[in-house]
Amino acid sequence: MVDPITKLSVSHLSKRFETLEVLRDISVDVHRGEFISIVGPSGCGKTTFLRIVGGLETGATGDVRLDGRSITGPGSDRGFVFQQDNLLPWRTVLDNVEIGPEIGGWRNAEQRVKTLKLLKLVGLAGFEKYYPRQLSGGMRQRVNLARALAVDPELLLMDEPFSALDAQTREIMQTELLRVWEEGRKTVLFVTHQIDEAVYLSDRVFVFARRPGRINEIVEIDLPRPRPLSLKRTPKFVEYVDHIWKLIEDDVRASVLEEHA
Amino acid sequence: MTTILSDDVSTPTTKAAKLRQAAVWPVHAILKRGWMLGSVFGGLALWEFISRVLVGSKLFLAAPTQVLVALYELTKTGELKTHIWTSASEFLIGYVIACVLGVLLGLAMAGSKAGKQALQPWVSGLYATPTVALAPLFILWFGIGILSKVIVVAVLVVFPVAINTEAGLLTTSRQLIETVKSFGASPSQIFFKVSLPSALPFIFAGFKLGIGRGLIGVVVAELFGARAGLGQMIQQAAETFDMPTLFAGVVLLAGAGIALTSGFAWLETKLIPWRE
Repeated sequence: MVDPITKLSVSHLSKRFETLEVLRDISVDVHRGEFISIVGPSGCGKTTFLRIVGGLETGATGDVRLDGRSITGPGSDRGFVFQQDNLLPWRTVLDNVEIGPEIGGWRNAEQRVKTLKLLKLVGLAGFEKYYPRQLSGGMRQRVNLARALAVDPELLLMDEPFSALDAQTREIMQTELLRVWEEGRKTVLFVTHQIDEAVYLSDRVFVFARRPGRINEIVEIDLPRPRPLSLKRTPKFVEYVDHIWKLIEDDVRASVLEEHA
Repeated sequence: MTTILSDDVSTPTTKAAKLRQAAVWPVHAILKRGWMLGSVFGGLALWEFISRVLVGSKLFLAAPTQVLVALYELTKTGELKTHIWTSASEFLIGYVIACVLGVLLGLAMAGSKAGKQALQPWVSGLYATPTVALAPLFILWFGIGILSKVIVVAVLVVFPVAINTEAGLLTTSRQLIETVKSFGASPSQIFFKVSLPSALPFIFAGFKLGIGRGLIGVVVAELFGARAGLGQMIQQAAETFDMPTLFAGVVLLAGAGIALTSGFAWLETKLIPWRE
């Protein structure tokens, strides 16, 4: 029985790396078509959380269900967008984007039509035959996104995808991501360090705390869509950013001190 | 949106420029390679001068022109064709066998801990050993025919290929592997779609290293005993103090080495176009 509202259901999720408790008893639901961002200080386990949902991490206890099915490993019902673009340098843009369908065994003419549409959507029409080394960082991240979308995933998992980009490119990519997202309204989990990025993109922001990693607060972002970049300068937006920053400030200070020690 | 700007994306204008360049090729190319051509021809002239004037005896040093004459004579009698054919087949058979075996060995070493532990000492040890010194032994065992030379070539070429294959497979980026894993790739899909293509440049480097070693193997093995081949021709010429013929053999071998290496470099740009 598929729940009409809940897409992803996490209950009592815990994870240890030997003696280190990375995640403690996380229970949370994500709704169909929701854009969720996860923020928190370094070492709060936000990337580990995302990797568990992606099936890339083993040894966690608790239950993670996508459409009611338990997640046991990676699969093409989820599309993972990595921090580094991780494009295969010997494949052209087209061949990189179609690697998911190729692995799944449905790379065919029908898929090609979808792929070309997708490339157009992310602004890469005409670049099908280019190799990754011929592209800028921003363009490689677009390919990265298109590759994850090419398997038409139920859930899009994004691990700080824009962190390697310069500030201006990053802002443009945020608006582009929202534009692409509006097209299909996939359910998205987006991990980031940037609080303003999280507020700008999301319906809800999961604020993580560290030692052990857990959800400190879930902040509902009540801002109208579509969202222009100028939204970032409105008082309400700044208020959200401020609120979230206050939630994690002490944790961030502690983690910075630890890194220096 | 940012745009790409990479030199090797051929735009119509650069193509046109290349065509124009091709039209004036001879003059342009000579001017551009002036120092190289000067160095080569200057060197040949110096060699000619030293052997004709300073040494003055064909018994000790043959001049380039005398080598050319010898090459012409050898071609006319048909002798040269037999030698080249013999050496070329010995090289090619041994080389191809070694490349296939080397890649398989490399796969075995990269693929499993047991394989690595069992093979590593032998592969590294034999790679470092000047196994060419064992050529007389191989001739004793396998006769003065083609078989002993094929084996010497194979023994010299197989180890650099194996070592490079292993290194290439082991340096495969773990992030790339994880990326295809996230799409549910099986171990064999990971191997064929990520590890192998990522190791290709390394494997090719091993093949290239093998060319020089293989050529040495052919000549040395033939020096120790053969019925035909460039090494045997050189050996015979040395015994009769026929320096022009000896040099002709060496020049042909050098030419083969240069041709094979640059042929490989060309093949590399075709098979590994994503590099640079």
